[in-house]
Amino acid sequence: MKTIKLKQLVIAAALGTQFALPAYAADGAATGTNGTATVEIPAFAADGSGGNPAQEAEIKALKQQIDALVQKVNSLEQQRGPAEQAATISDLDQQVRILQRQREIDQDAAAAKAATAPKITLGANGFSFSSADSNFVTQIHGVIQVDSRTFFHDDNAKGVDGFLLRRARPILSGTVYRDFDYMFVPDFGGSTVQIFDAYLNYRYAPEFQVQVGKFKSPVGIEALQADANIQFNERSLATDLVPNRDLGLALKGDLYGGAASYTVGIFNGVSDYNGTTTNQFSQNNKALVSRLIFQPWKNTDVNALRGFGFGVAGSYENDQPATNATTSLTPGYTTDGQQKFFTYNKNVYASGVHWRLSPQSYYYYGPFGLLGEYVISDQRVSNDSTGGSKNVDVHNTAWEVAGSWLLTGEDASYNGITPRQNFDPRLNQWGAWQVVARFAELNVDSDVFKGSSVNTSLANPTVSADRAQSWALGLNWYLNKNIRADVSFSHTTFGGYTGPTTGVPAQSENVLFTRVQLAF
Amino acid sequence: MKYFLNLLLFVALAMAANAAEIKLLNVSYDPTRELYVEYNAAFAKYWKAKTGDDVDISQSHGGSGKQAQSVINGLEADVVTLALAYDIDAISTQARLLPANWQKRLPDNSTPYTSTIVFLVRKGNPKGIKDWDDVVKKGVSVVVANPKTSGGARWAYLAAYAYALEKNNHDDAAARDFITKLYKNVPVLDSGARGSTVTFAQRQIGDVLLAWENEAHLALKEFGADKFDIVTPSLSILAEPPVTIVDKNAKRHHTTEVANEYLKYLYSDEGQEIAAKNFYRPRNEAIAAKYAANFNQVKLVTVDQEFGGWTKAQQTHFADGGVFDQIFQPQN
Repeated sequence: MKTIKLKQLVIAAALGTQFALPAYAADGAATGTNGTATVEIPAFAADGSGGNPAQEAEIKALKQQIDALVQKVNSLEQQRGPAEQAATISDLDQQVRILQRQREIDQDAAAAKAATAPKITLGANGFSFSSADSNFVTQIHGVIQVDSRTFFHDDNAKGVDGFLLRRARPILSGTVYRDFDYMFVPDFGGSTVQIFDAYLNYRYAPEFQVQVGKFKSPVGIEALQADANIQFNERSLATDLVPNRDLGLALKGDLYGGAASYTVGIFNGVSDYNGTTTNQFSQNNKALVSRLIFQPWKNTDVNALRGFGFGVAGSYENDQPATNATTSLTPGYTTDGQQKFFTYNKNVYASGVHWRLSPQSYYYYGPFGLLGEYVISDQRVSNDSTGGSKNVDVHNTAWEVAGSWLLTGEDASYNGITPRQNFDPRLNQWGAWQVVARFAELNVDSDVFKGSSVNTSLANPTVSADRAQSWALGLNWYLNKNIRADVSFSHTTFGGYTGPTTGVPAQSENVLFTRVQLAF
Repeated sequence: MKYFLNLLLFVALAMAANAAEIKLLNVSYDPTRELYVEYNAAFAKYWKAKTGDDVDISQSHGGSGKQAQSVINGLEADVVTLALAYDIDAISTQARLLPANWQKRLPDNSTPYTSTIVFLVRKGNPKGIKDWDDVVKKGVSVVVANPKTSGGARWAYLAAYAYALEKNNHDDAAARDFITKLYKNVPVLDSGARGSTVTFAQRQIGDVLLAWENEAHLALKEFGADKFDIVTPSLSILAEPPVTIVDKNAKRHHTTEVANEYLKYLYSDEGQEIAAKNFYRPRNEAIAAKYAANFNQVKLVTVDQEFGGWTKAQQTHFADGGVFDQIFQPQN
């Protein structure tokens, strides 16, 4: 600052002198530029001749001093200015570097913190909570199904029209330490609360997994389909013959990139499909269950072949109930409208080997889907009454074929439909629409009616039918991935029944179903 | 049912036989990367020759305190080679992964090598930094890591504090004033020693880096001896970075034997040579003499002498609300 002031001072002084000198150096007349009064200068000052020699010499000396001072100031400015500037730049450079480095450190710290923070997600697939290292993952899903059933031409004798909460299931699932999956599913629909699924699955590798707990016994393909993804309100007659959920242990895996899948398990053993599952065992002997499915063209480039699969499943057990209170027999086969059309007589129990075999197949290509299975349930049964039929191998069979077509072009799938566009009428978007059709048949071994009387036979033809045939048509509307509305109609006819002429199975069953479902 | 159980047993045995490769995880402090790259290769060769087995050693590096916390939180270290005993004590007391007397299991209090704190300055030492007094002067920018997370930074802090105590007749208030001035000169705190080397050497921040001795030498090697000088202060601290097996993890991984041998080999001639080549002061006197030219003479004090041990030092200076928290104010 001192230098600048000095410089300014010297320049000002020099300028002032320069302005003043011409006034003296002119021909005696000089004017100021600002109109100020001028001073006449004697003519001798212009050419240095004449005038006062002493004054002239003094002026000359002063001029020389001024020149020297200006030179010195310029020199000093050149020396000090850049250095000062350099110092300032260096300080600024350090400040910038410090700020940049601090930012890097802060970003690293934020990243480290984020790496340890748990993750929470919420979306169409439900709620999910995960630890930062993904060692603990918990997911909450749910299924709520509100149905209506309207029975036609039944003279109100059997089917009850009305609404029902078909399923209300919170689904708690998750993974612990990346390899251990768990699932817990209670159900609050219906009149009692039940535990449907409660199992742990260890994934050593995709090819080798171990599952233990209560879960669906791996036999029926329709039974194994998730409840939220079935195409009709109720599963078909074929599912009447397969086991429901059971307690046990299974080895399973996907081989060759999923082109083949296997499940082999040992379970307590349950009777043919019924709505109530058990959490206890009733006998010493266990059921061996296995299933093998092939999707041979799953990984090919030919789209039309990828969705084809086929396989076979089966079970084997030697039923000997531990107590007389249990029969190890199905409580009865039911129609689509959940009305019983076949039951065993009182005092009838499982008395030996019960085996099942179910070849099954499916095909999905574009909007088209097709699923089919054939089930044999062969069970040795006895009537405990005096003279009752003993050790009869009851050979029951059932089959079904179900087809679907997505009118809006989405891809059909065993595992649910995702609409291309969610329902939003303001945007002229209507979700996904699917037509479905199914045909199914169940045949009970006619030997069940053989016996000297209705009390000694295994079943009573005045109470039960030994044959049911059903067709169903439906329209499913997927508003979005989570909400669905269905309507379907089912017609079932019966054979072998000789009882009263009202109600099922005397009359055919005609049911109109609707459903609104929320699943996430 | 029995046949099924036999099948399960067979499958389980097959799985166990298949999982044979030996893997070790060494969780270490920040500046030991180069040391363990060389050492691990040497040990793997030794182990292969001795047993025929391959051993694959993975490394994790970071500020010593942070690393200890990671192990406590579940990082499955088979061995830890940290900057100070206190951090390993924390693993023992908080996670109970190893016994409290771990330090007695290997020679020299489980410290196969030692180090100290020196100054790394710009070439030519433009700020004329010769000793700790110069570091606290106004206008000197000091780079050092955060003692809350870095073991090296804790050693550096204690070295400075010890100098101030020695200089001022163990007047704690004077030492505290000294350390306050030092940290007023610190523009940025990295979480670990390696980070502060990056700040000083790569980001060109600061006039002096308070560094591990080995880190200072490695900086000369990596960035060029024409960029920096090492200045040894008149007094510094004897830093004893310990090593130990993490018993429960090693047992779970079935690596106890190889983990123990891994640490013992640090005391072997080859292990000590590798340490010395990487500018750690070896315990082996013959090898220390061989590499004496790498290390300047310096008066060294210990944590026990000056501060009554690590537990007391940690509690007084580095715990939440301790002296460091009281005196350090971030510049930005």
